[in-house]
This record gives sequence, structure tokens and C-alpha cells, in this order.
Amino acid sequence: MIYDRPSLRLVPDDGDDGDGDATLTNTLRALYAAPESAGYWSALERRIMDRIARGETLDAWWSVPTQWARLGLMAAGFALIVAASLFLRSHAEQRQMAYDSVLGPANGGPTLAIRDAQTERQATINYINGR
Amino acid sequence: MTAIALRPAPAPRAGTFIRLVTTPDRPDDEKALVLSAQRGELEAFSELVRRHQRRAYAVARAIVVTHEDAEDAVQDAFLHAYRALHRFLPDQAFGAWLHRIVSNASLDITRRRKVRDADDLPETVASPFRDPAESDELRLRLRDALAKLPVRQRSVIVLHDVEGFKHSEIGKLLGIPEGTARSDLHYARSALRALLQQLRSPQ
Repeated sequence: MIYDRPSLRLVPDDGDDGDGDATLTNTLRALYAAPESAGYWSALERRIMDRIARGETLDAWWSVPTQWARLGLMAAGFALIVAASLFLRSHAEQRQMAYDSVLGPANGGPTLAIRDAQTERQATINYINGR
Repeated sequence: MTAIALRPAPAPRAGTFIRLVTTPDRPDDEKALVLSAQRGELEAFSELVRRHQRRAYAVARAIVVTHEDAEDAVQDAFLHAYRALHRFLPDQAFGAWLHRIVSNASLDITRRRKVRDADDLPETVASPFRDPAESDELRLRLRDALAKLPVRQRSVIVLHDVEGFKHSEIGKLLGIPEGTARSDLHYARSALRALLQQLRSPQ
């Protein structure tokens, strides 16, 4: 069973949607007609091949002069070295801290807290008075 | 004995046209040319230029506004293609690959022109190939109307109606979905048809 969906319609794959206009198409073709002279095409070919033979480069907006590119590469290399040394240093510090946390600090064992006897006695008195 | 009736081929409908075939007669020959060009043989690349420059021009002309810009785009595209030739796989269609480069070069030129001289665009719409009918009002008005269309719509209608590209091919060339190419064609035709209507029935 074929469902007819109003929002969809089949169109030929050749892309002719049926809304073409012969006059429009013919005028467009006349307007956009490529040059027919064989001389024109051989001259264009010659120009292209001349540019290739000259080794011409195309200046794109992203292209930068070679000197600038070299400076940029040097700066990037220097930044990379600095970043690597900082990373190595912080890594070494982290490793030392990890050792310390497992083995304990290098200078001293557990700290003993000596209670003040006076304070304990006072606390007992306070407890009794409070009752 | 059986009689065979030969019937003439049906005439194309209005708005249809015979599709230009870009595939070379001998694809193997073209592959050999590409391989030779990849080895650095300039004569082989020159032959590729000879074979493809007309179609490349047609693609460029559909996108840029002037003949001069189309020429520049074609030259730039072939230069790009030559530099990128080592990346091209010879089993692919050279034409399709080249057309994408041409399309990019043309869009690049269009973007630069838009930034540089957007105001005097209609005056720059010119073709060096004058013919007696050029003074025809329809053609002049159509040219102005085309120049005012968005670049994509203009490219789609010219690539489709003049050059015979399919929607899918146009989509690939311009980097847009096939459906967008289809709707662009519809809008461009509507806009230009409205213009024609005005000319046909002047008040």
C-alpha cells in the first residue's frame, strides 16, 4: 500500500524538479557560455603551465613568510623545553611527597601529647559540680 | 522476416538538456597521465589541463561573477592540483577531485571579492564574449538579477541548468547537503522566473 504524504513528493534523480523554464535555461546558457575559440583554451593552458614551470606559489591567507615561520618554530621549541623542565620538576616533587606520606617524615616519629594533670583534675571537679 | 521500426529519439522536454560527459574516453589513459604527472612529467599534466580546463572553467564560472574571476579560479585550481597531486589516488576520478579544488578556489575568490568591492558588484558583471544579442533587455536584466542572488543559489542554478550537474554532485562541489542544493535551485528559479514574468507582461 502506498501512502501519499502531502509533505513529501518523489522527484526524479536527474534533479529536474519540473519547475524549469526553457527561456530562463536558454538565456542562462547563453549568458554562461564558455569561450569557444580553440586559441583561447590553448592560451589558458599555456598560462597555467607557465605558472607551474615558474614554480609559482599561491599566497593563501594562512601562508606566512618563511622567516616568520622559522622564528615561530624556534619560539615553540623553546616553550616546549621550558614546559618539559617544569613538568619534570613538579613530577619529582610529587614523587618525594608520595614517599614521605608512606615512610613518614624524615625527622621525627609520632608526636606525643602530654596532658596537663591540672586540667584533668579541674575537669573532674567540674563534672562533679555539674551533677 | 521481422520489420524493425526505427523511431526517432524523443525530443528533450523544456528545461532538460543533454548532460555533458566529462569522463574521458579512455579512463586508463587518464590514470596513466595522472601517474606520469605524479612522477613529475609536465607534459602529462599539460594534457590533463587540456582535457579538463573547459569543464573547470564552467564550474568556476557558475560560482564567481565575472569571466576574469573564473579564469583566475581555474588557474589557481590547477596550481593547487599540481601541488597536491602526490596526495591524489590515481584510482579516483581526476575530474571530480579537480572540480572540488576549482569550487574551493572560486569560493575563495568570491569571498575576497565580497570583502573588497561588494558595492560595485553589478557593474563588474561582464563577459568578454560580446554577441549581438547582448543588448537584449532580458539578458541584461537576468544578469543583474543573477548578480543579486546569493552566491550559493546562483552557483546551484548555473551548475544544474547550464552545466548539467546533478544535485548530489552540486552538493559535493559546494559542500552542502543534496536537499539544500535542491531547495536552492527552487528558490533561484522562482526569483529569476518572477523577473521573466515582469519582462513578459510589462504594465
